[in-house]
Order: sequence, then structure tokens, then C-alpha cells
Amino acid sequence: MLRYIAQRLAQAAVIVAIVATITFALIHLAPGDPFSAVMDNPNVSETVRQTLRAQYGLDRPLPEQFVRYVSLLAHGELGWSFSHERPVREVLGSALPNTLVLMGVALVGSFVFGILIALFQVSRRGSVTDHVLSGLSLFFFSMPDFWLATLALLTFAYWLPIFPVGGAVDPVMHEYWGLGGRIVDRLYHLALPALTLMLLASAVVARYQRAALLDVLPADYIRTARLKGLTEPEILRRHALRNALLPIITLVGLSFPALLTGAFFVEKIFAWPGMGYAVVLAIGTRDYPLVVGGVIIGSIMVTLGSLLSDVLYALADPRLRSR
Amino acid sequence: MAAMRHARLLCALVVCGCVGAESSSANNSGGTLAISTGGDPDVLIPSLVQSVVGAQITDMIYDRLADIGDSLNILSDKGFVPRLSDHWTWSADSLSIAFHINPNAKWHDGLPVRSTDVQFTVASTKDTLLGSPATSLITNIDSVSAPDSLTAVYWFHARSPQQFYDAVYQLPIMPEHVWKSIPPAGWRASDAAKNPVGSSQYRFVRWIPRVAVELAADTVNYRGAPKLSRLIWSIAPDFPTALTRLLSGETDLLEQLRPGDVPEVAKHPELRTKQNHALQYSFTQFNLRDPVNHARPHPIFGNRQLRRALTMATDRVALVRSVYDSLALPALGPTVRAYSTTDPNLPQIPFDLPRARQILDSLGWRLTTSDSVRSRNGRPLEFTLSVPNSSKIRIQFAVLLQEQFRQAGVKVDVEQLDYPVFLEKERKRAFDAAIGQWSTQPSPGAVRGSWGTAGSRAASGNNFGSYENPVFDATVDSAVSSFDPAARKALLTKAYETIIQDAPAIWLAEPIQTVGYHSRLQLTTLRADAWWAHIPEWSIPADKRIPRDKAPPSASPSTPPALPAGQKTP
Repeated sequence: MLRYIAQRLAQAAVIVAIVATITFALIHLAPGDPFSAVMDNPNVSETVRQTLRAQYGLDRPLPEQFVRYVSLLAHGELGWSFSHERPVREVLGSALPNTLVLMGVALVGSFVFGILIALFQVSRRGSVTDHVLSGLSLFFFSMPDFWLATLALLTFAYWLPIFPVGGAVDPVMHEYWGLGGRIVDRLYHLALPALTLMLLASAVVARYQRAALLDVLPADYIRTARLKGLTEPEILRRHALRNALLPIITLVGLSFPALLTGAFFVEKIFAWPGMGYAVVLAIGTRDYPLVVGGVIIGSIMVTLGSLLSDVLYALADPRLRSR
Repeated sequence: MAAMRHARLLCALVVCGCVGAESSSANNSGGTLAISTGGDPDVLIPSLVQSVVGAQITDMIYDRLADIGDSLNILSDKGFVPRLSDHWTWSADSLSIAFHINPNAKWHDGLPVRSTDVQFTVASTKDTLLGSPATSLITNIDSVSAPDSLTAVYWFHARSPQQFYDAVYQLPIMPEHVWKSIPPAGWRASDAAKNPVGSSQYRFVRWIPRVAVELAADTVNYRGAPKLSRLIWSIAPDFPTALTRLLSGETDLLEQLRPGDVPEVAKHPELRTKQNHALQYSFTQFNLRDPVNHARPHPIFGNRQLRRALTMATDRVALVRSVYDSLALPALGPTVRAYSTTDPNLPQIPFDLPRARQILDSLGWRLTTSDSVRSRNGRPLEFTLSVPNSSKIRIQFAVLLQEQFRQAGVKVDVEQLDYPVFLEKERKRAFDAAIGQWSTQPSPGAVRGSWGTAGSRAASGNNFGSYENPVFDATVDSAVSSFDPAARKALLTKAYETIIQDAPAIWLAEPIQTVGYHSRLQLTTLRADAWWAHIPEWSIPADKRIPRDKAPPSASPSTPPALPAGQKTP
């Protein structure tokens, strides 16, 4: 198992390096300049522009910039963010925990919620409720994340003002509250973006889980359980669900990139100060090091998610573990 | 619905309960102004700031020697209001001005403001290593001397009608003791840039990137304490989110409502709108040089008559009404009505579609019976109109222009571009036509950079369309150097008439800035160049305050920053 993990980690490192190189090249080749705002100012002279480019090493040939960047990476640095005037490490270091909290809550919530829906559907398979829930899960499965986020914001923060309009905390009052108030404030702000992501992801989980449960229901051991006199909920919970969880473990790994990219747009709409929000703004301002740094962290998360699902799969299935 | 609002209020009150007792101020000062804004400030160093939100915040933290009056007069010192300098004296030859610094003025860290701070500010702004956008605006200032600790003397290269304006408007004064030990190239990245120390009526509290910037009233300021205790810029990059924050009561003010937002604001009885003329104008700019070979004129727009015909084919009044409703006026030219030197009756090229068709016919661009697009020698009369995809307004203009030009037999392809890409195309002159917008300064002389020959010929000048007319240049130069207000206005009128008749652009709109705000705020004048200039005079009556207005200033997490080692408060 350890050898397998080491191999996968080596593969992951190669993938991350390739992704980082491609991103570096693409973002530098894209038209535009990190000093667009400066360019837009009629008072800024050419001397000032050249000075700024030179200060950030943007006057050097692209291959030289790339070598410098790789050298920084080798020293554990991700470069300097032009737009934040701080090391990229610091910018992402402050944003990543927010993204992980949002994704973590959404991931756990979506799996719990999705599995419960699937169990409910299978227990009433073929009924009107089952069909309605299948339709709803297909509806949310097909819905663009940014659209649902905007709709959720308008519905639950404006028309029905239950939740706050974005942000991770109340920027006006948060620092003035005690610990209890701050925790409540954080949860209050987390609710709507997390629910949005959760709704999107749980639709996928419910559909997968329902199909997996329907696959195992005709199995002999289910028939045996019925003959033993177990009730339908007991059969579903103790026998069918355990055996139908394997595809869902794969889905955990697949959900990581989906949730991460979903979080990019959801974070922007809810002004959630996470990594996606930072990277989306960085693309607009051509903050090259921040974009590449964000992509590196994102690809590490995705490859680790994939590795995690493989390991969990192996642990859950004794046949794979023995190979 | 009401129950939901109450539930939310209850939640806020429960959370407020964790604060502890709130102090309720009975006097007139107090209250919090939360401003919805679209992004972080670029930097909080006044000599480097570029973004509007950055300017808003630095203007609240740093003072100038004197501030421009609401009339935006820039001639001599008429209308200017004392700030750090409580009075000033001109030399007999007007080549120097001695500014006498208010002896009570102090930096927020407690040190007094001194003439060496003024000297340092000018010297550092002129340093090209710093890369300040103000450098090119203070070229007439030779140097600053400091004969004593409270007198700073500005020395100018030449007499100029706006030398006082140049000296004070472009340069908020910065503390030498904070910045002098930091190399200019390192200012942006320094800790000092993230904890600015100024001398104005608000002091810096915190900046949480992508969340908020907070300032608190400087209650011991030499100009007196401002009326509002706290200012908070609440950051949301998505405009609908920023607007929703205002509509839901999370913030108190949104600076630039779009036409479609005004009816939504009107549905909220607790919200108000206030309008003022801003220093902005938009235009459809023609590229007069070939985008591929800049040595050649543009195959379509190189012809003055053709540009005039396209202008005639444009119903600007209808365009502006469609896009802005009543929140803009048709632009007069490369100027704004807020300038006292602008004649609001500047003659325009009239909308006259039949005449436009005649001119195009006479130029050889004719319609064949089988086609809807004019052509000449087999070349169709078509071009690409570039717009930044971030501007809904400019996209609307582009679509409407496309239709108006179609009626004249001209085909337009609208190209929506990512903003940096749009700027890159303009800077490289690699476009046919583009919808642009300039935010200008109180000095009409700024027109030289964006429409003058110098701005056209410099490698990265801002006259992107490469319009050049020596008569326009000379008339603007004469106007800017004229000390007589009447002559100045007459010369500028002549310059504007020249450029309007040359039609290097179709002058589209002069937006009227519409601010949405909470009715408990008592606003004063919104200045055309900076609506925020009078924020220290805004107030919230004690009986109208809401919970966020009552967070006690003493609970502020930031105390004045510690003094640098070895320095003592005098």
C-alpha cells in the first residue's frame, strides 16, 4: 500500500508540474498586463511604466521569467503577488482555510444529504415521490453553479432576508463582538454559500447513490436478508448501503475538482474570501504569480483528492487491498 | 416577509448581545458609514494610488496643504481651503509660494507635521524610481525648501495660472519619518503601506484584503473630530452583490448606481439617491491610423468626411436616453459640464441620417441593390467596434450603435474583450473603433494627454486614436497658460469646436453620478471630482442610529501605531 501511495504521489508531482508550466505559459501569453490600471491612467508616463515592469522583472524574456519562477518554487516560494503586494504564499495562506472550510462543509453535507435522499428514494422506488426527487436532482445537477449562487443570494439575502449578503464575516461588527458572537457570525455567513455548493453536489451524490443501491438490491444476500425477516429500512441501511458505498468513494475524489471549480464562482458571487475569489480577481488583474500559485495549490488538492479516494476504495474493498 | 426581516434583526441583536453593553452617544458625533465597493484599494500610498477606492481612503487619511473648493477653480488660489497649511504667501514674482503649516497639525502617531514632510513628499514623488503617476503633473515644481520647521516654500520653473493647484491638489502630504528609510522601489510592499499614518480626520484601523477597510475618527485632529465615528469600505467584486448589500441594509452607500438600479432603490423607503455631475465622459473613438501599419492612415477612419458622416448617422440623444435614461447627458466633446470653462452650448455635428448617406455616397461608399452594406472598389464599409466586457453600459452603446450604423449602410462587428485585453489593444493601436471613457481632473489641460499630438506620438501615449491637429494643440496650450478666465474659456471653446468638427470620436455621454444611500445619513455636497471629499461633515442624527452606529470607538481594535524607535511624542 505504501509503495502504491508513493507511486501515486510521484505521478501527482509530475501532473502538478505540467499544469503549473502550462498555466505559466498561458497566463503570460494572454494579452494584457498586470499594470492595466496604470496603463489606463493618462498621467502615467512611459518611464513610470518601464520602472514598474522592471521592478517586477516583467521586462525580462519569458524563458528567463520561467527559470526564475522555477527557482523560487524550488525554494518553497510561490512568488510575489502584484495586486496584493504580498508573497503569494501569504495571500493563498490566508485564503485557503476559508476555501477548505467552505468545501469541507459542502462536501460532508452533500454526501450526507445525497445519501439520505437516495435511501429515501429507493425505499419508495417507482413512486411519485421517487420520480419527483429524481427530477429535482437532475434539475440541480444540470444547473450552472454561478446561476444557482446568484439565485440563492437574491432569494435568501434580498427577497427573504434570512442570510447576509456575502462575505465570511460582518465587516462592520465582527471585530467588536465576543468569541460567541464571532462564531455565530461566521456560521451565519457560511450557511448560504455552503448550502449552494451542497445542493449542487448532493444532487450528483443522490443520483449515483440511488443507482448504486438499485444495482445491489437484486443481489442474493439482500434476498437472504429479506428471508431472515429483516425490515426494508434495516436491509437498506445494514446490507444494501454498505455494499453500494464503493462508487460513492470514487465520487469523493471526483467531487474535489468539481467543488473547487464551483467554489471559484460561488466565492466570487458571495464575496467569500477564499482561494477561488483570489484567483478569479488575479486573472482579471493579470497577477501572474497569484494565478499560477492558485493553480498549483488547486491541482495539488485535486490530485490529493483523487489519491484519497483510491486509498479509501482500497481500504473499503478487501479484494483491491490484497492486490 | 416581515417575519423574515424580524428574524434577521433578532439574529443580529442576539449576536450584538455578545458585544456587551453598547454606549449610546447623545451628541452629534458618532455613527458608522458602510460603503459598498467593488474591490480592494490598489495601494494606500497617496502618491501611488490609482484606483478610485484607493483615492477615497487615502483622501480620508492624508491631508493636502490646501484643498480645492467645490467650484473646482484651479486658477491662482481662489476658492482653495486651508488644510495642513493655514495660510500661504506668494513671492513678488509668483515663482514661489510659502506655505505656513498649522502648528497644531499632527500625524496619527503623535508626531507633529513639519515642513520637511512637505519637502520629502515632493522629492519622493519626483523620484522616477517610485513610479508615481503624479510625477508628470508636477513638472513645473522645481523644488521645495524648508526655511523653518513650519514653512515650506515651493519653487516653480515658470509662472503658471494653475501652479497653486499643481502644488496642492496632486500631493497629499506624507510623513517623512515613516517613509524615508524605505527605498522607493519597496514602498508598495512595505509594512508602512499596509498601516498608513496620515494627518487627516480619519486614521487607519485595518485592511482585510477582499473583505473590508476600516477607518476611525481621529478625535484629536487639528481640524476637529469628524462627525461620523467610523468609515468602512465593504468589498464585493460582483456588482449585484454590492448593490444587494445596499438594498438589504448591510451597507449605507453605493457610489455609482446604474440606470436599472434606481427603480429598485426607489422601492426601499429607507434609501435615497443623490446626483452630481462627475468628471467623466464616454466616446466612440476612431483609430485614425491603420491598425496593422501605423505609418498609413486607417482605410476608413483616415477620412475626416467619413468620420463626420458616421457622427451624423448617430442619434446621440436617443442613444443616451436608451442607455442611461435620465442619468446622463449627451457628451459635449472631450470635456465635462462641471468645468467652468466649458460652454454648454458647444456646436455639435447634428444627427442627420439623410445627409450622412449623401456624404457616404459622395465618398464612393455606395449601396448596391443586392447588398445592405456599402462598399467601394469591392471593399465593404465595415469595421470592428471593441468594448470591454466588464461594462454593461458600453456593451449597450455598442449594440445600439451597430443598429444606427446599419441604417446608414455600415456594418459593425461588436467585439467584447476582457478589460486587460481591451486596454492592450488600445495601447498598441490595434483596433478599428473602441468605446472608451475618461475620468478627468479638475484641470481641462488634461485633454492634451488624451487627444493631443504628444499623446498620439509617444510610444505609449493615451491618445489611442492618434488624432493630431496642431490648431487644437496650440489652442489648448494657449488656454492652459492664460491667466484671464474669459480668454481661457474662449480658447478652450475654440479648441473643443476644432476637435468636434474633426470628429476623431463620437462623443457619447456625460454620466450624472447617482449615489444611493441610507436615509439616516445626512449628506452634504458631493464634489464633482471626488464625491467623498466632504464625508467628514456627514452625520447621522443620534435618534436615527442603528446598532452598527453604536459600536463604541473605544472598542476599536487598533490603537494609534507605536512610534518608531527613538522617537518621542513632543
